[in-house]
Amino acid sequence: MKASSARYLVGQGVKSIWRNRMMSFASFCIILVSLLMVGVSVLLTININRIISGIENQSEISVIIVDDIGEEKQEDLKEEIDALPNVASVTFYSKEEAWESMTDDMSEEQQDLFRYSSDENPLPDSYKVTVNDISVISDTAMQIETFENVDSVKSPTQFADVLVSVENIVMIIMLAVIAALVVVCLIIISNTTRSSVFARRKEINIMKYVGATNSFIRIPFFVEGMLVGIVAAVVALLLTKYAYEGVYSIFRNDISLWSILGIDNLYPFDTMAVSVTVSYLVAGAVIGAVGTSISAGKHLRV
Amino acid sequence: MVEFKDVSVTYSSGVDALNKVNLKINDGDFAFVVGSSGAGKSTMIKLILKEINATDGTVMVNGFNLSKLKRRRIPALRRTIGVVFQDFRLIPTMTVYENVAFVLRVIDAPAKYIRSRVPYVISLVGLQDKAKSYPTELSGGEQQRVALARALVNDPQLIIADEPTGNIDPALSYEIVDLLRSINECGTTVLMVTHEHDLVRYFGGRIININKGSIAFDEIIGGTNTDES
Repeated sequence: MKASSARYLVGQGVKSIWRNRMMSFASFCIILVSLLMVGVSVLLTININRIISGIENQSEISVIIVDDIGEEKQEDLKEEIDALPNVASVTFYSKEEAWESMTDDMSEEQQDLFRYSSDENPLPDSYKVTVNDISVISDTAMQIETFENVDSVKSPTQFADVLVSVENIVMIIMLAVIAALVVVCLIIISNTTRSSVFARRKEINIMKYVGATNSFIRIPFFVEGMLVGIVAAVVALLLTKYAYEGVYSIFRNDISLWSILGIDNLYPFDTMAVSVTVSYLVAGAVIGAVGTSISAGKHLRV
Repeated sequence: MVEFKDVSVTYSSGVDALNKVNLKINDGDFAFVVGSSGAGKSTMIKLILKEINATDGTVMVNGFNLSKLKRRRIPALRRTIGVVFQDFRLIPTMTVYENVAFVLRVIDAPAKYIRSRVPYVISLVGLQDKAKSYPTELSGGEQQRVALARALVNDPQLIIADEPTGNIDPALSYEIVDLLRSINECGTTVLMVTHEHDLVRYFGGRIININKGSIAFDEIIGGTNTDES
């Protein structure tokens, strides 16, 4: 194809956006809304998963060690636990540390009360064990329980189950939302294109009579759809960026939310900017172009 | 050249539109196709343009065997044919110039060629002063001349005019047929479908009369305007 023809075809695509401006605007809105909904649900999922895995990392098994067994036996136990396949790390947590962390939250008076009631530190030595896969944390806990010199084991099994199922449900909902939106998007856009094909049927009819190839007839529609998709993607990107940053700063500035979620568990927008931009643009262009091509192809049969 | 050999067309509704039609129109011929509506004239045109396929028989157009022609080669066939319609079918949002240039753009002609060819063809039909007008600003006769220019612009071997005078003043009809005849004199085959017998009688020439899907009459008659031929 000659450069002048390519210019002509792209020009036709651009012109036809303006000529069918109501329809183009409708397509634009549909793609915009779909991109926003998909984008928001993906961002939400990414962050929920990150929060969950943050919580997962914090959830650990406490292994209470039998009192006064001596350092050597404690060391043996540590090695035994470390050898388990699902164990990520084992940290020693001395009774002094436990005492400090417990009394940290108390007022002076409460601390004094505790100190006088007993000379000796009543808390035991323990190991904090983190795991690789939280879904089998209870199995790991049971294995540890059978080891020698283990007094008792505390593990957040129920909590772990809840987390895992929340993660799965979020993932399923997100995939369903994306699939539904893509289908709706394609249907609406191909309907929009049908009107646009209908509006230009005279032109198309003449093009066919004078021997235009089908691809020549389709290219302007393709360009039209793609451009509308890209414009929608840019607007969606800006809206997403500002909305996300707004929500992010709310979490940043609110200490109580902060402590529940942990601020490190939310991604700042900048870390995702490139991938969000690329996905929006590609998705917008592809949905626009495919939507119009399907419909143009269907209605252009000679 | 157009050649029909034992061509039959039966529509899916069961209507027999053409029944074993044999017809040959040589290069450089000028022929009127006449017949009442429903006789099969439109079917003939649709066959030549390969909008429909013959149920039986072979259709040859400008060296293409249409029953063997692949779908994606249809544009190549149509580039050898210029079509003029009763309702002009100009694009209202384009000027006269653009309406004509459009055809060359569609067949991927070089921009330089378009710039020289389009004004020439527009002047052939005598509309050089209206090149920048829109179709709605023109009379019916002028619009049909634009349509003729459009059919001519890519220098087709065959021009099909489907009732080209059906929507314009009788007085201007003669002008259109005159134009078609002068195009024919330059070597282009012209096939004009019409039901205006006055016009046919006036100009004379080869008359193909179709009746109920068969050729009832195919002869050359003398026109009443003897000084024309």
